[in-house]
Amino acid sequence: MLTIDKLNFSYGDMQVLWNIDLQVNEGEIVTVVGANGAGKSTTLKNISRLVKQTSGSITFQGEELKGLESHQVVERGLVQVPEGRKIFPEMTVLENLRMGSFIKSARPDRETNVERVFSMFPRLKEREKQLGGTMSGGEQQMLAIGRGLMANPKLLLLDEPSLGLSPLFVKIIFEIIQEINKQGVTILLVEQNVFQSLKIANRAYVLETGRVVLSGSGSELLSNDHVKKAFLGM
Amino acid sequence: MIPTNPLHSQRGASAVQVSLGMAVIAALFAFPQFVESPYVLHMMILFFLSTLMGQSWNIIGGYTGQYSVGHAAYFGTGAYSTMILLTTKEIAPWYGMWVGIAASVVLALIIGSICFRLRGPYFVLASIAVAEIVRGTALNLTDLTKGAEGILLTDMPAFKIGQTVITDFSSKVPYYYIALVLALMIIAVTWLVQNSKLGYYFQAIREDQDAAHSLGINLTFWKNSALVISAAFTSLAGSFYAIFVKFIDPSTVLPLDLSVQIVLISIIGGIGTIFGPVIGSLVLVPLSEALRSNAIAQGLINSGLVSEESGIGIFLKEHLAHAHVLIYGILVVVVILFMPDGVLGYFRKMTAKKKRGEA
Repeated sequence: MLTIDKLNFSYGDMQVLWNIDLQVNEGEIVTVVGANGAGKSTTLKNISRLVKQTSGSITFQGEELKGLESHQVVERGLVQVPEGRKIFPEMTVLENLRMGSFIKSARPDRETNVERVFSMFPRLKEREKQLGGTMSGGEQQMLAIGRGLMANPKLLLLDEPSLGLSPLFVKIIFEIIQEINKQGVTILLVEQNVFQSLKIANRAYVLETGRVVLSGSGSELLSNDHVKKAFLGM
Repeated sequence: MIPTNPLHSQRGASAVQVSLGMAVIAALFAFPQFVESPYVLHMMILFFLSTLMGQSWNIIGGYTGQYSVGHAAYFGTGAYSTMILLTTKEIAPWYGMWVGIAASVVLALIIGSICFRLRGPYFVLASIAVAEIVRGTALNLTDLTKGAEGILLTDMPAFKIGQTVITDFSSKVPYYYIALVLALMIIAVTWLVQNSKLGYYFQAIREDQDAAHSLGINLTFWKNSALVISAAFTSLAGSFYAIFVKFIDPSTVLPLDLSVQIVLISIIGGIGTIFGPVIGSLVLVPLSEALRSNAIAQGLINSGLVSEESGIGIFLKEHLAHAHVLIYGILVVVVILFMPDGVLGYFRKMTAKKKRGEA
């Protein structure tokens, strides 16, 4: 579904991604794990076209994304839930969700999608009229994911959804991700919470200083010595 | 119940508010029948003009969050287009203003396509720079604009429908009605923007550009749309100013001061709200007039607080009028420090506090 081939990217003179190869197949949960500064978010930003690669190719459903802008990839069903949630603080929960169905193809499904999000996140239903900015971090993360779903994504990119959340919310968010996947949405998840994300992932990639150092199925990597030592403290 | 706008979750006005608004509008239309003083009418016209300018800026600055400090460029473009066409080609201003609008829209698209690559303070600086370029151009394009000499309007054509003369613009009254209609129109436009999908896209960009972008909102397109709407109405304000004051030069219709003033109307009144620029104009127009005409020094003397012969009295009389820009500046600082949401925001907060206190 998504194929990244020899992706290189530099911020100015500083190269941060080196020959990244990555593959996401339809229906999978794929996770990219790694430490701070490993290049996880930058990889996602390249996919969602917030930044443009120096070289290499990214194809989504057979189409090369080079030359497309962010708003155009969204129309193709590639939707990113940005890091740090980035909800609209002065809009209500409902307005935030409705903004998610900005693109033409998602507009006819707006009301059904709102219902779908509310059934997935009953908490959001309760807070329908509350301003986004006044909710807790976990609720805002739910809202950000819900808003992403409003655009009818085929592939959902999640950038550190568990960042800064309480353990209870982390658990809920990971359950939700699996639930969304079961409903037919392919997921590319970038996480620092290595243990949780490897547990739910079909396949995983480990990034270190901008390079893919390991890849394999989630359970393989969980039992990998390097992963255990470097990320799980075992 | 089917909401008119799918994004819209009821933010409409109550029946009381609507009838109150209607009453105010009716009173404003009847106003010149009861008040004949040209000075009062002049002040009212300035108030409407200020509302028009502030509200136009509010669309790009308040709702879309792009702080353009170069709106004098559009104001000047409108003023110059109308004046040049009128004085050299005898094209009536009600046709000339359309040329001004078209020119401003083109200018806005050029400025937008350059400056919207930048964000935050860099966008502000770029917008100032572009407006200064426009001012420099007007100053040096002497064949067209007469440069620093300015353009004086001596013959204002009468407005006719068929052979009937509707008005020959010999008093302030026709200007009053034009300004009033323009002010009401921009308020209506802002209301429409705020309550349409457009308004939500603008606000999404204001609140978080990256999030808006990640939802598929084409930032450049929508920012330019907001700027074009804003520029068109600012240009209209410029056209009106030109035929009302009958004299323009680069230092009155294109300076940086003007750009800043346009911004302040919204900021002082309350940014991103429909009535913010109205309140801002209500505060700023009388204030700058009082300072300019030295009414404050005179008031202090008349009330007996300061004797006219004393050192302080003489000093105030001599210098306060000259210091009006300084005092204006100090007041702006005070408002920004103590009422960061503008006068309107401040009073809303106060009433909310009171309500909570009683509950």
